[in-house]
Amino acid sequence: MERVQKYLNVILNSLKVLIPQRDRMQLDWRRFLGENITYSGWIMAWLAILTWITFSYTTGQLQSAPTGTIVVLMIWGLTVAMTMLAELQKRHTDWTLWMKGNLYNSITNVQVSLLLVLLILAAFRGFYSYAYTNASFADAVPPTEREYETTVEAVAEAGGPNLSRMPANLEFVSPTESITNRAGVVVRETAYILNEDKTVVTVENRDIHTGATWGAVIDNFSNLLIFRYKQPNLVWRVYAVLIFIAVFGVASTFMYRSERLRSSRLLSGVSLFWITSPIIIYQFLLGAGEGGAEAFFGRVSPDNTLGGFLFSVILALMAIVISFPLGVLLALGRRSEVRGIPWWITYPVAGLGMVYLLFTNTPTLLEGARSNFGILLAYWPILIPVVAYGFQRTWEGNVVAAFSTIFIEVWRGIPFITVLFMSIILFPIFLPEGWEVLNMTRVVAGSAMFSAAYLAENVRGGLQAIPRGQYEAADSLGLSNFTKYRLIILPQAIRLVIPAIVGQFIGLFKDTSLVYLVGLFDLLAVANTIASQPDWLGIRTEPYIFLLALYFVCSSAMAWYSRRLERQLGVGQR
Amino acid sequence: MAGEIPPGPPSMGQESIPFWRDGRVLGVLAQIAFVIGFIIVAGWFVSNILNNISSLGSSQFICQDGGFSYRCAFDFMEADAQFDISETPIDYDPSDSYWRALGVGALNTVKVTVLGIIFATILGTLVGIARLSPNWLVSRIALWYVDLLRNTPLVLQLIFLYFSVLLGLPQIDSAIQPLGLPMFISQRGVNLPSFEFMPSFAILMAFIILGIIQAQVLWVILGRQEELTGKESNRLTWAIISFIVVIGIGWIVSSNETNQAVLTPASMRIREFDDFEQIVLNRLDVNQLNDIASDLEEGLITQDQVDEAALKICVLRDAPSETNFTSQLRRADIPYEVKRTTRQDQSTSSFIEGDCEAYVGPTAVIAAERDAMDNIIAATPEDDVVNGGAATMLQLTENPIRLSIPRIEGFNFVGGWKMTAEFTAILLGLILNTAASIAEIVRAGIQSVSKGQTEAARALGLSESQRLRLVILPQALKVIIPPQTSQYLNLAKNSSLALAVAYPDFWNLGNTTINQSGRSIQIILLVMVFYLSISLSVSGVLNWYNRRNQLQER
Repeated sequence: MERVQKYLNVILNSLKVLIPQRDRMQLDWRRFLGENITYSGWIMAWLAILTWITFSYTTGQLQSAPTGTIVVLMIWGLTVAMTMLAELQKRHTDWTLWMKGNLYNSITNVQVSLLLVLLILAAFRGFYSYAYTNASFADAVPPTEREYETTVEAVAEAGGPNLSRMPANLEFVSPTESITNRAGVVVRETAYILNEDKTVVTVENRDIHTGATWGAVIDNFSNLLIFRYKQPNLVWRVYAVLIFIAVFGVASTFMYRSERLRSSRLLSGVSLFWITSPIIIYQFLLGAGEGGAEAFFGRVSPDNTLGGFLFSVILALMAIVISFPLGVLLALGRRSEVRGIPWWITYPVAGLGMVYLLFTNTPTLLEGARSNFGILLAYWPILIPVVAYGFQRTWEGNVVAAFSTIFIEVWRGIPFITVLFMSIILFPIFLPEGWEVLNMTRVVAGSAMFSAAYLAENVRGGLQAIPRGQYEAADSLGLSNFTKYRLIILPQAIRLVIPAIVGQFIGLFKDTSLVYLVGLFDLLAVANTIASQPDWLGIRTEPYIFLLALYFVCSSAMAWYSRRLERQLGVGQR
Repeated sequence: MAGEIPPGPPSMGQESIPFWRDGRVLGVLAQIAFVIGFIIVAGWFVSNILNNISSLGSSQFICQDGGFSYRCAFDFMEADAQFDISETPIDYDPSDSYWRALGVGALNTVKVTVLGIIFATILGTLVGIARLSPNWLVSRIALWYVDLLRNTPLVLQLIFLYFSVLLGLPQIDSAIQPLGLPMFISQRGVNLPSFEFMPSFAILMAFIILGIIQAQVLWVILGRQEELTGKESNRLTWAIISFIVVIGIGWIVSSNETNQAVLTPASMRIREFDDFEQIVLNRLDVNQLNDIASDLEEGLITQDQVDEAALKICVLRDAPSETNFTSQLRRADIPYEVKRTTRQDQSTSSFIEGDCEAYVGPTAVIAAERDAMDNIIAATPEDDVVNGGAATMLQLTENPIRLSIPRIEGFNFVGGWKMTAEFTAILLGLILNTAASIAEIVRAGIQSVSKGQTEAARALGLSESQRLRLVILPQALKVIIPPQTSQYLNLAKNSSLALAVAYPDFWNLGNTTINQSGRSIQIILLVMVFYLSISLSVSGVLNWYNRRNQLQER
C-alpha cells in the first residue's frame, strides 16, 4: 500500500510541472529555432521528411486501430508537454529528466519515439491476432470425416444456400455451420466447392482461421520434448532423472555451502559426479538388460528412441563434457615450450626422405600421369623440405605444438555441418571392419572433436591471462610440471574461462539443431515431421515459432547464468 | 663478504641433475614418445581405412580402364554429373562433369558469401550504432534484435525464413511491389531491376578510363597552380565536372555507335522505327496503340486478331540484338512475337519463307544477308517471292547500359535480377544473423574509444565528420577489425547451411555428388580443402594485419 502511495506521489509531482509558473518560464523562441531547426538546410529538409512520415503513419494508424493510437498519442503528448515544461521551468523530476535524456532529447527523437511506439504496437497487435485472437487451439482438424459428394439440388434441399448460379470451380463459404474458438472467432466453416459440370459439389468442413494453428504444437508437445521416450517403459526414466537432478542438486547446493565440507574429498567427488553426469544419465536413459522398450529397464538403442529436446540437451552436454579434457590437453599442447627436435635432425631426415621418394614413388607416378598436372603432381616429394622448413620456422621443432595447432585450426576451419556428415559417413571407415557404431556415438564424437578445438582456444586464452609470476612461483617451490599445472595454473585458468565455456555450450546447444540434416531426431527433425502428419499437413510455422521461443528461453537463461557466474567468480575484477 | 664465496664452476649444479630429470632431455623424449604414439594411432586408422576400402570393393578408386589404383581417386569427377542445378552463375548442363558442377557450387558459395559480408557489415554497423543511440527505444529495439538473433540457432532462422516467410508470400501473379518500385516479391523470390551491359559498353569504358586519367591530370595541374598562385581554385569541382563531361561525350558516342540492324521486306516500306507502329495500327484498324487494350475490353477486337497483327520477328537465341529490339518494341507498346532460332541460316530461310517480317542481327551479318537475298530474289520468278521483293535494312541504336526491369511473362519473370527464394533465404538469414554479431563488435569498438578523445577533437575545433573520420574511426577500427574478420569467416562457413533451404552451394552439391557417385572420401576431402583454404587464407591476412597494427602501438 505504501508503495502505491509512493508511486502516486511521484506521478502527482511530475504532473505538477504541467501547471506552469509564469515567473520561472524562460523561452527564447528565436534561440530555440536557431539551435534546433534552422541552423542547417539539411536538418530542415530532414525534419520536414520525418514530420511527413510521422504524420502520414500516425493518420494511417488512427484509421486502422483508433483506440490504441489515440491512447498512445495522448500519453505521448502529455509526456512531451511535461518534459518541455519541466525543461523550460527548470523543475525536473526523476521522470522528466529520464524522458529528456532518453526519449525526447531532440526534435528528431520526439518523433522517432512516437513512430517506434506505434510500430511496436502495430507489430504486437499483429502478432497477438495471429497467435491468439485468430488462432485455433483445437486438437485436430477432422475434415475428411465429413467430406461427401452431393448435388446442387441436394444442398438446397438440406437447407444450404442456392448454388445453382455459382460459377464453376469457385469456393463458396456458408456460415450455416461454424465453430468458434476460445477467443470467439469462427475457426471452422462449411465450404461448398462446385465441380466443372456444376452438378456435383463437394461439401467440406475446414479450418478458416487466419491465425496460428497451435493444435499442431499442443498435440505434439511430448513428441517435441522427449520423442519416443513417452513410451511407458521409457518415460519413467526421464522422470527419475529429473527427480534425481532436483534432489541431488538441492543436496549438493547445501554441501557446497557448508563450511565443514569445504575442500573435503566428498565435495570433489560430488563435483566429479556432476561433471560426468551427462554420460551416466545417458546410460541410465538407455537402460540395461534384455527386452528393449518392451521391458521395464530394457536396453534401447538411442538412434530410434532418443529425440526431441531431450536429445538436443544430452548431445550438447555429452559433447562438452567429452571435449573438455581434450580441449585442455590441446591448449596445453599448443602452448608447450619443450625443447623441439633440432634442425640438424629434421632437415637431413626431410632431405633423405625427399630423395628416397623421388627415386621410388615419382617414377611410378610419372608412368601413370595423363596430364601436365599429373606430371607436376608426381614430383610432390619436393614439398617435404618445404614443409620441414615451415615446421622448424613456426614451431622450432616442437612436434606437440605443431600437432595441437594443426588439429585446432583444421577443426575450426571447417563448418560444423561438414563435421557432422564426416562423422556419419567416414567414422565407420576409420574403424576395423565389423565394428558397429551407433549414429549417436558418431555424432557425439564429431561434436566433441569440433567443440574441443574451440574450447582449446578458450582455455589458451585463460592460460595466457595467468601472470608469469604464478609459473615462476610454482617453479621456485620446486613443483614438478604436472603438479604445477594441476594445482596452480589450471585451476586459475579454468576459473577464468568458465563463462567462455558456458558461452560455448550455448553455441553447441544451438548447433545441435543441425543434426536433423544427417537424419537424427533432434527438436528440429521432430518439428519437421509435424508437417507430414495427416492432421497437420503442411504446418511448419507454428512448430518453428515454438522452437524459436524454446531455444531463445534456454539460451538466454544460460547466458544470464553465465553473466552471473562471471560476477561471482570475479572475472575481470582483478 | 664477496671474497669468502668459493669460486666454484658455474656448471656444477647442472651436472648433478640426472638426465631423467633434465627438462630438455625429457622434452625430447616426450616428443619422441608422442611421435611414436601418433604413428601407432594414425597407422591403425590408415590400416583400417585401407582394409575397409578393399573390402568395400574397389569402386571408390576405379580407373577408366577398369583397373584399381589410388591414382584414379578423382577420375570419376570427369563423368557426367547428371543432376540439374537450379542456379548457375556459369553455363552448366547435366551432361557436364562433376568438376563443373562443384565449380558452380563454389561460385554460388562465393556469391552468397560476398553479398552476405557486404550487407551484414552495413546492417551490423547500423544496429551497432543504434545500440548506442541516445534514444532509449532505439537502443532497446537494437538490443532485442541482437538477443533474439544470437540466442536462436541459425539453421532454425533459415528454415523459418524459407518455409514460413518466403514460401508464405503471395503467388507470382499477385507479387508484392513495395512502394510501387519496379521490384517484385513473391513466392519465387525477389526480382530486382538490373543493369545490362551492351557490347558498346566497351567504348563507354574506354571513355571512363580516359575521364579518370584526365581528371587526375587536371587535379595535379590545378594543384600546382594553387601552389604557385596561392589561390584556392576549387579543383575537386573542376575535376568532377570534366569527368562528367567526358563520360557524357562517351555516352553519346557509344549510343550512336550501332552494330545491329533489322531486315524487313521491301513491301513493308520501313524507313524508321515508328513505321513498325504504323503497320500494326493499319492491320488492326485503330488510331492509337493505347486503344488496343480498351478495344479488347469492349470486345471490338479479339486477342486472336491482336496476335495475328503482332509483328513477327526472328532472332538468334540469346543474341544481344534481341533484347535491344524487343525492348524498343515494348517501350512503344507494339505487340510482337519472337521466333528464336539457334542458327543464322535458319533465320534467313524462315525470313525468305515469310515466317518473319523482321530479322534482327549484327549489322555486318544483316548487310551480307541482304545482298545474298537480293541475289536469290533476282534469280527467282516473281510469284515465288513471298515477301515481295528485296529487303530494306534499318539501323538500330542502343545505349551502352540499359536498365532491365523485371516483368511477368507467362508464369515467369523475365528481365532484371532474379533472386530465387532459396538464395534469398540463405542470403537474408546469413545477413541478419551475422549483423547481430557485428553489431556487438561495432558497439564494443566505438565504446573502446575513450570519451576524452571526443572531447579533445572538439577542443581542437574539428567538425563532426572530421572527428568521426580522423579520430574515432581509426581507433575504433583497430578494435573492430580482428573480431569482424572472424565473423566474416563464420559467415563463409555458415553458408554451408544452404543445404537446409536447398540452395545449391558447394557443400550442397558436394553432398549430392556423394549420394550419386558414392565417393564419400574424395568429396569430403575436397570440401575440407575448399573451406580450409578460405579459412586459412582469411586468418592469414588477419594475422598479418594484427602484426602490422601491433607495431604501431605505443
